[in-house]
Amino acid sequence: MNARTPQEDVKITVGYKALPGQKDDRLEQRTVQPAAGDAPPWDATTQFALVGTDVDRVDGLAKASGRAKYSYDVTFPGMLQAMILRSPVARGKLTVLELDEAARMPGIQAVVALKEIGNKVRFVGDAIAAVAGVNLHLVRDAIERIRAEYEREEHNVDYLVANDAPMVDDKGLVTEDWPADEGMTAALLDAKVTHDATYRVEVQTHSSLETHGGVARWTGNDLEVWLSTQATFGCRGELARALQGKKVDVGSVTIHSEFVGGGFGSKFGAGIEGLALCLLAHAAKAPVKLMLDRFEEHTTTGNRPGALMQARGGVDAEGRIVAWDWRSFGHAGFSGSGGSVAVPNYYTGDAKVRRSHKDLAIDADPPRPMRAPGHPQGWFGAELFLDELAAKAGVDPLAFRLQNDREQIRLDQWRFAAERFGWDAARARANAPGARMRRGVGLSSARWGNLGNPGRPAHGITCRIHQDGTVETRSGAQEPGVGTKTMLAVITAEELGVDLKLVKATVGHTGDPSGPASGGSTVTPSLAPAARHAAFLAKQQLCELVGKHLGVPANEVVCAGGLVGLGKSQLRWAEACKLIGPNPIDVRGQRFANYDSKPFHGSQCGVQMAEVEIDAWTGFVRVTRMFGIQDCGLVITRKLAESQVLGAMIQGVSYALHEQRILDKRTGRMLNGDFLRYKVTGARDLPELECHMHSIANGHDSVGAAGLGEPPSVASAAAIANAVFHALGTPVRHLPITPDKVVQALAKKG
Amino acid sequence: MKPFTYVVPKDLAEAAAAAAQPDTVLKGAGVDLVDRMKERLQTPQQVVNLLPLKQQLAGVARAADGALQIGALTTLTELEQHAELADPALQALRQSAGMTATPQVRNRATVAGNILQFTRCWYVRSEAFRCLHGGRGPTCLAMTGENRYHAVLGWTDCVRVHPSNLAPPLLALGAEYTTTLDGATRRRALAELFPAEPRAQNPEHTLQAGEIVTALHVPKQPSGARSAYCESREKQSFDWATTACAVRVVLQAGKITAADLVLGAVAPNPLPRPKAAAVLVGEAPSAALFQKAAELAFAGANPLAHNDYKLTIGKAIVRQALDEATR
Repeated sequence: MNARTPQEDVKITVGYKALPGQKDDRLEQRTVQPAAGDAPPWDATTQFALVGTDVDRVDGLAKASGRAKYSYDVTFPGMLQAMILRSPVARGKLTVLELDEAARMPGIQAVVALKEIGNKVRFVGDAIAAVAGVNLHLVRDAIERIRAEYEREEHNVDYLVANDAPMVDDKGLVTEDWPADEGMTAALLDAKVTHDATYRVEVQTHSSLETHGGVARWTGNDLEVWLSTQATFGCRGELARALQGKKVDVGSVTIHSEFVGGGFGSKFGAGIEGLALCLLAHAAKAPVKLMLDRFEEHTTTGNRPGALMQARGGVDAEGRIVAWDWRSFGHAGFSGSGGSVAVPNYYTGDAKVRRSHKDLAIDADPPRPMRAPGHPQGWFGAELFLDELAAKAGVDPLAFRLQNDREQIRLDQWRFAAERFGWDAARARANAPGARMRRGVGLSSARWGNLGNPGRPAHGITCRIHQDGTVETRSGAQEPGVGTKTMLAVITAEELGVDLKLVKATVGHTGDPSGPASGGSTVTPSLAPAARHAAFLAKQQLCELVGKHLGVPANEVVCAGGLVGLGKSQLRWAEACKLIGPNPIDVRGQRFANYDSKPFHGSQCGVQMAEVEIDAWTGFVRVTRMFGIQDCGLVITRKLAESQVLGAMIQGVSYALHEQRILDKRTGRMLNGDFLRYKVTGARDLPELECHMHSIANGHDSVGAAGLGEPPSVASAAAIANAVFHALGTPVRHLPITPDKVVQALAKKG
Repeated sequence: MKPFTYVVPKDLAEAAAAAAQPDTVLKGAGVDLVDRMKERLQTPQQVVNLLPLKQQLAGVARAADGALQIGALTTLTELEQHAELADPALQALRQSAGMTATPQVRNRATVAGNILQFTRCWYVRSEAFRCLHGGRGPTCLAMTGENRYHAVLGWTDCVRVHPSNLAPPLLALGAEYTTTLDGATRRRALAELFPAEPRAQNPEHTLQAGEIVTALHVPKQPSGARSAYCESREKQSFDWATTACAVRVVLQAGKITAADLVLGAVAPNPLPRPKAAAVLVGEAPSAALFQKAAELAFAGANPLAHNDYKLTIGKAIVRQALDEATR
């Protein structure tokens, strides 16, 4: 790679070479202007040593062997344990709160009220007070001694009978007329084939394996919190503000979050448990640990909301979609928001399109973002609707997608996936009439759009090169298990031309440069260019030293393959680093804004296919195999990227077949707030999983990466539901597809 | 967990003496008991750990009369993998022991513990609800609440289901159980371990305070005996049955000469269905016959608002069990 003068126009090649088995390269030329001082752009022609290969997760062994310390594992001498008293009432007002008896109990060191008398109580699980003491048994005793009374109000936890709910019949079908729209009426009348159906999805709780919470320790006015979070910097600000609101004098707040046992969108805030933890530690003048239990995790930390969705639409004689009418009703909690649903927008071209959404408030824990908020719900409804419409029109679902999908990347992906999955043969295989075991295959598209952001203040990365040849790359942002550390290490090692083993990546301490929250698939596209810039700056300093030492121009020194130098004048990396001296090279890279020129593609495309086998007697659905192809811009660490895609498919199986929150209507309390009755898919329920990473040079910054939290989560449940439709010959329009629904669908079909 | 006295008995007599004391529970593997104690759903003064008695109370052996004797503390894994269970007559027992919970649980959980399980009803098992079970409240909350996993047969004032998946095959095989109480040993038909009328007030079993189950006995099966156990679930990994069926048939010259059929997970007791079994006797196995038996097995069912699927699926499971036993 030649160093290029900054701020100069740089010509790059964007796009991708033909997928295996396909003929056409999709490559284009772009001219970009990198910011002054930034590393020159990587593009479709770049030859990488490390990027895109299968490296092991850098902290995999630490995690598998238990050496990785999560917030849950942090302890200090004299540390207290804590719990929260939760409301048993779904809606009402706190009328009595007496804490004295609990506070006087031996071994109890702090009790704090989290609500005041007269405050509203919004759901079963609303936090009332918190207690810290020497062990959890005593704390539980103290919680039982707190006297809390409530003025109960009538509550409702069924969104289908909420105030603004649409009229629904006893089968859950929307019976309310569509809002008038002459254009839509005309488009539907003109269509050759039309279809109308109602879809439903249930609430999926977050249930991260590491529950929410952490450990707080004060030193004077300075607060350190070991927090299980996916937004270290957000939580730092949130806690400082919340403590000031409680009249606590805060000097500084530092968050530590080196290892996080899952977040999925539920851990953006420190939350009431985070605040309680800090208040208790302050009051007790001792470190305090407060981690939620499994029931609290299910019932108070948000969820992927349920939704009721109705679609109608039509195709013309050629099978092109000419009308698409959609309305959805989201299962919000007491906040009345967060239940929205997203649907694909690339099938409808110039068809008449309408979409509306309404959130329905109930007296329950509100939604929080969860891997591609709104997407798995909406894609399930929309893609199953499309398959039903295609079936009515007598068109194969794949042919229907190829005809209507407007995005070239995905058109290539549809064909590639069909080939690898064996779509045509699997789709053509008919089930024997009356057969007990029935097979079927289904497919779904996916999209997500995010190419990262520079942050405000700009995201940074620290890169240090030590005289012993080791390299550090550090971000204050967190990693909830997705592979960020490995990504940072690979980018750094690639830029420096060194062995990955020499690079140690550290994340999660707010003393290090700021980075984004782990949300919206933004971390990799936001931090990869900053990590590269940091390594690029550090390399320049090392090249200065080596240039001086070897008597060659520093700007011509190259770092590659563990060597540093020019032509025959080379030093081994370890020798070069000895020139550094006792103080390491220590630089801070920056995330610059994306290039002004248009990226190759502004979002990420994907396709998934699934095969199911259904026992028509017992209604049991087994997903037998799934295949996914996923674009995430430049693939930095292939094995970890695949892990993100396969993990999303596993979550998709669980969402499609198993998971649902079941609330008792009379009390508003969750009945299955554990891991026995709240059913998460297990090893024996998993299909054979395979995926192909579709690496695309996007040309939006020096790296061109996109994230993978969201994109692969969109399609899985929809593909499985379509496979069920194919196997049964009748759709199951309500997730999760549990055996009772399958036998009902078959009975109805006759 | 509340503090309690933990008794580690040296022998059965010591265990029995401790078990007779008030507010005392017996612990086998403690798979469920420890969870309930942690959640303070059960707060005994004293816990007697029976595991030190494994030497005497675990293991599978043939008795002189040809019966298979299964020690109460035998783990499900030991049972499933025992050579005696290769007998096709005992297939139901092997299948049931092998599909319970997870390998970890099966390596730990005991045969007696499985049969003496506490209900899994989500109203009964929550301190937040006060239902009729155990006299904690005025009505059965599941009957009019969320009841997708509850009873469709044999319920009166409480719609819990019996969670044991070893009980149906043991009942179908005509098993007996031995207990010790006040130094006296008694051996009875397994059906007597379950309340004749499973009401909210009754516990899941008929043991008296201080009574300890020491062994199960599966009588010698006649030649031509075959058995099978099947259950429906919502997932394959670690789930509870939504319906279950154990059958034992004796096949001679292509005809069924004797039959037993027991349902699980659909009633407050593991539920023998003698009329469904009777229709099989004297007949050659056929899909039509099994369909008839399945219908009879669920005759008189009284499903709740959210569990009528159990009839369709339960009948399929009966047919499948019969199919596997006669294949």
